[in-house]
Amino acid sequence: MYSKNTELKNVSGLHARPASEFVSMAKTFESKVTVRRLDDEAAQPANAKSIIKILAQGLSVGTPIEIAADGPDEQEAVEKLFELVESKFGED
Amino acid sequence: MRILKGNPVSRGIALGKVYIYRAFKADVHESYFEAGKEDEYYKKFKDAVATAEKELATIVTSMSAESPEKAKIFTAHTEILMDEEVDEGVKEMIYESRAMPDYAVDEIFTDFANLLEKAKDPLIAARAADLRDVRNRVLRILKGEKESNLANLRENVIVVAHDLLPSDTATMDRNRVMGVITEIGGATSHTAILTRSYKIPSLLGVTDAVQIMKNGDNIVLDALAGKVLLDPEKEVIKEYQEKLVEFIKEERETSEYLDKIPLVASGERYSIGLNVGDTEPEDGYKYVDFVGLFRTEFLYMGSEYMPTEQEQFEAYKKVLANAMGNPVTLRTLDIGGDKTLRYMALPKEDNPFLGNRALRLCLDHMEMFKTQLRAALRASAFGEMKIMFPMVGTIDDIRAANAVVAAVKKELKIEGLAFDEKINIGIMIEIPSIGLIADLAAKEVDFASVGTNDLTQYLHAVDRMNPSITKYYQTMSPAMLRSLGKIFSDFNKAGKPISVCGELASDDIGAVLLFGLGLRKFSMNAANIARVKRILSLFTLEETEEIAKKAQNMSTEAEILEFVKAEIEKRTI
Repeated sequence: MYSKNTELKNVSGLHARPASEFVSMAKTFESKVTVRRLDDEAAQPANAKSIIKILAQGLSVGTPIEIAADGPDEQEAVEKLFELVESKFGED
Repeated sequence: MRILKGNPVSRGIALGKVYIYRAFKADVHESYFEAGKEDEYYKKFKDAVATAEKELATIVTSMSAESPEKAKIFTAHTEILMDEEVDEGVKEMIYESRAMPDYAVDEIFTDFANLLEKAKDPLIAARAADLRDVRNRVLRILKGEKESNLANLRENVIVVAHDLLPSDTATMDRNRVMGVITEIGGATSHTAILTRSYKIPSLLGVTDAVQIMKNGDNIVLDALAGKVLLDPEKEVIKEYQEKLVEFIKEERETSEYLDKIPLVASGERYSIGLNVGDTEPEDGYKYVDFVGLFRTEFLYMGSEYMPTEQEQFEAYKKVLANAMGNPVTLRTLDIGGDKTLRYMALPKEDNPFLGNRALRLCLDHMEMFKTQLRAALRASAFGEMKIMFPMVGTIDDIRAANAVVAAVKKELKIEGLAFDEKINIGIMIEIPSIGLIADLAAKEVDFASVGTNDLTQYLHAVDRMNPSITKYYQTMSPAMLRSLGKIFSDFNKAGKPISVCGELASDDIGAVLLFGLGLRKFSMNAANIARVKRILSLFTLEETEEIAKKAQNMSTEAEILEFVKAEIEKRTI
């Protein structure tokens, strides 16, 4: 298990195109990957390979999240997804 | 030969075969299978998903070139279809509960759709509709029904349907669809707007059309006179073939006027404006001098929630960009008891057209009104925007609305948000009480636009939705012409712009009369621009003035129509 915390920095948050990009990247890894919002005690980790589950989290700009992975490529998965969030998904 | 009547919303004639279009309707019941068949049913589900994936891929490929925006909808559908949580959920229901695949699919998708609908972010909640769309696709395939859309037609057809959804029209094969007939929908429906922009003849509101007609029936669609001829005789077919040739010729002659400068025969220049009701770019913007009416209802009616300031701001900015430098007249929300919003409870009224509607409703719901004004003002930093209030009856109304604008401007200034400080504010003239004091109104506003449909309705006390009293609805009655004459001359005297954005501006007879009464700004749908330019090019200023003067002194609308029609025919035939 490997994880890293960050917050969403792109204006449109994790829906539409950014959500699609995030999910497609998560799917390239073998490990189980999850996203959990840190501003809600009750929030459960959501399957990062499911567009529906990611959308249902309602992650908007400024939301603190934890990206976690468990499996053979867990570290790479978390680092790559972390970078994608940091890059603001190409939004300026 | 049987004749059906309807409302012609896109002019033209079509002869051909009927193609009955029925959208798939899911009918799922809770049902289970016997033990031992788990693998078989799971495979059935996986096969359906594979078929759905292929269908979607075909749609995306065929749409990517022409309308990438629409193709994106179907790419998103593919992502939902292939979601591993969907797969896991359905698999679990099949293996653990022995649920039939259609029941499992329905349950899982409905659960997820409900989950998304609960999201606080309205953009995410709106995605629930996509989930339901994908669910229907999978259920249809499970049922063994072919994809029934209008994308892959084998021959030229006239489409007959109860109604067409945006997703149907998005994929429609425009080269094969010669005409459209639906049972419901009016002149401003999605189908009407779309068929007009594609120049496909269409007739809406044809009662029981789907039951009366069958696939392959030969029919004549006369979307000039508003009728469908079933099983037409040879002579009738011949007559319509000739009419069609004539119509095409006339359209071609007319289309030559599309990009001409709008001038009357004696050389006076007038302006043509465009009426729009969405954010789609369209050709019409190229041929006009201004956008005389930008209806904003689509943002509210097409939504599951009150549109946010940001969404409205983006939409208004988009229209300004579409307008290519032309000024855009944004009309604030124009709804009332007859048009309801799903997310806003409005009391049922006995007389919605005389009720709490449009500006009155906005002044009653200040948060909603301010949100729209904030969005419009912020957009005004990105192009020439004007704001116009509908349903103004008194000077009090104007002052009340202007006070809200002033308050919103102050807020924006404090927040440091950019907007056009000198933005023009105007009104719709559609209630006779403001028309009668147009000279006083002109002192309080920067401009006005006459809504001739509502003005007729209120001046003649005729509910225009009531089909049994249409003969009392007279847009060119002597009373209308005298009212319009006063309104135009009051505004012209005050040096304030006055336009007409109602249907009268794009009517052949109406355009001639309006010009004669002093109007120089005509706003209309793109489809009418060339025809109006052509008609007005046939008359000199002096001629139109004489015609208008005579018409104002005639006693009945019938006399006026006959007289002006003869004047037009003198010049065209």
